[in-house]
Amino acid sequence: MAKQMDRRRFLKVVGVTSGGAVAVGCSTDAPEKLIPYLVPPENQIPGIATYYATTCRECPAGCGMHVRVREGRAVKVEGNPDSPFNAGRLCARGQASLQGLYNPDRVRGPMERGADGDFQPISWEDAYARVAERLGQVSGDRIAFVTGNESGSFDRLVNEWLSALGSQGRLVFEPFGYEALRYANQQVFGVNALPSYRFAEARHVLSFGTDFLETWMNPVQNTREFAAGHGLNEDGMGRYVHIEPRMSMSGINADEWIAPNPGTEAILALAIANVVLTDHGDNAPSDVFRVRQLLGGYDPEGASGVCGVPAETIRRLAAEFAEGPSLAVAGGMGNQHDQAHATAAAVNILNYVAGNIGRTVAFGSNPDPSAGSTYRGLADLTQRMRDGAVDVLFVHGANPAYSAPTGLGFVEALGQVGFKVSFARVIDETAAQADLILPDHDPLEQWNDFEPRAGTYLLQQPVMQPVFDTRQTGDVLLAVASQMGGGVARRFSTQVYKDYLQNVWRARQNQLGGSGMPFDDFWAASLQAGGVYQPEPSRAPRLDRNVGQLSFVPWSGVEETGSGDLTLIAYPSPVFFDGRGASRPWLQELPDPVSKITWGSWVEIHPATAAEYGIVEGDFVEVTSAAGTAVAPAFLYPGVRRDVVAMALGQGHSELGRYAQGRGANVYNLLSSEPTEFGGLSHYQKVSIRPTGEHEVLASPAGKKRQMGRGIAQSTTFEEVRAGEGHPFHVEHAAEVPEKIERVLEEWQAAQDRERTRGNYAGEHPRWGLAIDLTRCTGCSACVTACYAENNIPVVGKLAVQRGREMSWLRIERYWEGGEDDEPFTVEILPMMCQQCGRAPCEPVCPVFAAYRTPDGLNAQIYNRCIGTRYCSNNCPYKVRYFNWFDHSAENDPAFAFPEPLRLQLNPDVTVRTKGVMEKCTFCVQRIRDKQNQAALADRELVDGEILTACQQSCPAEAITFGDLNDPNSAVSRSRRNQLNYRVLEGLNTDPGVGYLMRVRNTVEA
Amino acid sequence: MIGKVLPVARGIAVLALVGVAFYAAFHAVQAQQSDQPPERFIAPVDVDTAGLPGPVQPIFYRHDVHAGQYEMDCLYCHYAAEVSSSPGLPSLDACMGCHLLVGGGNPEVAKLRQAATERRPIEWVEVHKLPSFVRFPHMRHVMSDADIKCQDCHGEVERMPQVYQFSSLKMGWCLECHKKEEVTTDCTVCHY
Repeated sequence: MAKQMDRRRFLKVVGVTSGGAVAVGCSTDAPEKLIPYLVPPENQIPGIATYYATTCRECPAGCGMHVRVREGRAVKVEGNPDSPFNAGRLCARGQASLQGLYNPDRVRGPMERGADGDFQPISWEDAYARVAERLGQVSGDRIAFVTGNESGSFDRLVNEWLSALGSQGRLVFEPFGYEALRYANQQVFGVNALPSYRFAEARHVLSFGTDFLETWMNPVQNTREFAAGHGLNEDGMGRYVHIEPRMSMSGINADEWIAPNPGTEAILALAIANVVLTDHGDNAPSDVFRVRQLLGGYDPEGASGVCGVPAETIRRLAAEFAEGPSLAVAGGMGNQHDQAHATAAAVNILNYVAGNIGRTVAFGSNPDPSAGSTYRGLADLTQRMRDGAVDVLFVHGANPAYSAPTGLGFVEALGQVGFKVSFARVIDETAAQADLILPDHDPLEQWNDFEPRAGTYLLQQPVMQPVFDTRQTGDVLLAVASQMGGGVARRFSTQVYKDYLQNVWRARQNQLGGSGMPFDDFWAASLQAGGVYQPEPSRAPRLDRNVGQLSFVPWSGVEETGSGDLTLIAYPSPVFFDGRGASRPWLQELPDPVSKITWGSWVEIHPATAAEYGIVEGDFVEVTSAAGTAVAPAFLYPGVRRDVVAMALGQGHSELGRYAQGRGANVYNLLSSEPTEFGGLSHYQKVSIRPTGEHEVLASPAGKKRQMGRGIAQSTTFEEVRAGEGHPFHVEHAAEVPEKIERVLEEWQAAQDRERTRGNYAGEHPRWGLAIDLTRCTGCSACVTACYAENNIPVVGKLAVQRGREMSWLRIERYWEGGEDDEPFTVEILPMMCQQCGRAPCEPVCPVFAAYRTPDGLNAQIYNRCIGTRYCSNNCPYKVRYFNWFDHSAENDPAFAFPEPLRLQLNPDVTVRTKGVMEKCTFCVQRIRDKQNQAALADRELVDGEILTACQQSCPAEAITFGDLNDPNSAVSRSRRNQLNYRVLEGLNTDPGVGYLMRVRNTVEA
Repeated sequence: MIGKVLPVARGIAVLALVGVAFYAAFHAVQAQQSDQPPERFIAPVDVDTAGLPGPVQPIFYRHDVHAGQYEMDCLYCHYAAEVSSSPGLPSLDACMGCHLLVGGGNPEVAKLRQAATERRPIEWVEVHKLPSFVRFPHMRHVMSDADIKCQDCHGEVERMPQVYQFSSLKMGWCLECHKKEEVTTDCTVCHY
């Protein structure tokens, strides 16, 4: 790599070593030329990874990351174990941040709209001059600046910069604004802020349509804490009830799903609160008298009629909830109808009467993923633009042209703005309308900081040289200020954003516990840890004096012209968040945790409703609301009510690069553009549906929707676990083995045992195994993307997925139970990867010994030996072997998966497979060999838990354990002795190395 | 940044020079003291470059001069071989550490200095090339109990004016040694 390394840009975190590439160089194919460094970079040894701590900016949650850098390029992102949020774990979107850095559609340098309307490259100096000139011509009140959530020094810089220009035109716009929750907190507690939710301490969680395991607040932290608070332990088990007309991914993990009439959650919450207060009011604070009368109006019987939930269920929920420690959550974006503030307010009251405020709900740390953004703010700005009151508009980290409903007319209003500057990294719908694009550095190339909540100061540092000719927006703003000269330039003491950032940190060094040390040391220590983490401030507010006057009406879905009788729920995509992730091919190919559909949109319809309309799965359905129309194939899902259809936000981009463009439907366009009472967007809409007559095969890697008695994903109830002894839940699949076969098997086993005493197999070896706790697993699919990233798995595209040719070594299988004839509906999920069978059916059928069993118990696949007969895949009962039908690594192949610079993401420790080769999971054998090499060099034994597979490392729920099954004291062996342990299709006599702990549901007798 | 780094490089250069000088002096003293002075290898001055095996490099870098005549340790330039899979290539500044001062009259050194002035790396031609589906951890071999010398696989590089591939690097050749030393021959030790 012919890069001169800028030594100041590299600050080492920890020099963890790794097994390695053949030669120094950027390409995974051994280069013909060996190009040495000009100056040896500090802390970088070829073949050994360096890790840099930084902060994930894929969503506003603020998880800490360690970025693995090899030979000067980032190859993998992992969670930062020091982070109080994600504690070393990372979600799929975080894993895919690497594909933001290496996105082939990134804007490669500054661009200006030419006379012919197309973008032309322009130099940075000219670009600065253009901006400075334009700003010199307009008065400050005609300048507006839209950003996403930037709650750190950059936020401050933008405000100072605008104030130097005499402008107050700052707008923060996050599509997921939590407006309802903040509004309700103001109403009930007089606090316009968000609290921290302590899922770890809650044993009874009641979610009112809140997808807290997917996108809400910090889903990685929520998942980690929920798994701890809910999971089975010595004290028993937590309970989680999900209340929503649609069973979301979070809902799948619930012990009980209750689907009330859409929009009546507030009434249900108040009725529960009423019973809690009257029957179990011991924990209630003294000032509950303020709501006593209000709650009195919501008795279970009356609420039952409104909500469609039996009164006895309400009483039972109340009794369970009052038992505590409990936590009720509301304010999820997927449940944000125009009365969502009423739901949130009712849930606040419920938490209050149960005594949860100050215990599981802690105000004071004010996390706000939306930085105070409201949709109404955007609507107001649009109006000003339309009125011609804005001459210069800057847009950074926001894409309102996509994420505001078409009805708002944001794009048309843009036409009234004389000069529009975008800092987009990939041309999005908003940038496409700009006059000037000044591409920002990717977050992995930036110096920055971020404060996701009070007391937490996170740092971002560049992990590598910028890939393209981009510049950090902070630097651009400072450079423009300096060009403008005069008072504007004098406002800033520096022209370099990093200096600006360090000045901010210098000023707060003492406050952050760095007093007495030189600033450079404090800075280096903070960078190394990824930031400074101080204890969360916490306080418990009292009920607002006027809380008793609040009125609660269910959402009615006001009849508008053209609306229908079905309710559309537009929910946040667990994969794409608000749509910003759609440009990442890993995320496009990641099956949605609920529908398992890739590369597009779908409409979730209840099978009974679909039958009424004559719709079968895959039929295109036109969904029409008063605001607009969207077309997508139908997905028949018993997890929605019959009067509800649901669609995920995030797809349907008209820009955003090759992977996002023209895929699926933009569901924002179905929403009413009118701001709600609380200033947000209503995600519930009355719609009508109509089949268009077209049909497609859904691009889904999922097979059968039901288990057909195979017992793949097994579950039991807490009741049975408590009563059971030994292994009472084991499902037998084994057919009777005839005596003749029994003898053959014995002889075969004897021969195997004989062979095991010879050659490489002689002596003691580990047997690597995996244990997966299904009670903890939420199906979030972080492991799937981590596996793609670690193992150079190619993305194959929609057509190949439709043909069943996806390459996902690790997949989350999802099966439906019940849901027919009004039986309760549940969903079973199970991560399925190579089971590393002790008696593997794939091995004996390989004619060339490419598939064989290693001495340490892996079903190895030797790529250079494989000739592609695919016999192994045909013989694998778990379907975990994947064949390269194309040359995904060859530029001239139509299935080329790594267009420049995406190939820079390839892990140099893993072979990139070629056409005609079978590939599969080998428990991250490169990581095993690396740790073994390190241990051998240090002349010591491996320690249990030292080797982490990529899936295990990323799992937010800590559901996966890896280790040596031959060591009786290893964590994985202990898990194997658990009474809940079972192995998939064990009756086939395959002796899998992967054990699952059955999902335990804390159900109640109906 | 360059301004900041160069003084460091110069410092290294001076140290390296002193080191080489001491090394040479030490060996000279040793030669005088022993009864039978060991034969000190002197690399030939004139070499017929056309007849040499191995790929032609952009600079006629003489391993036989550096590693042979001056007895520089392999690890001085290939600094990562003991810790990493990759042996490491000397950076241009590592070369310039000495050649800022020595070898001025040599036209090949002039090429190096030219590249350093232009801040352009030298594009060496790879001699020992393994297919991309093979992992070769240098450190496990260099640090192994079997006392493997670099020369066992790479040949007497210190006598080669131009380096060529000494061993076949084929799998059979690897296995020969692995079998002799009775270490593992499992496929996934190298292939993954």
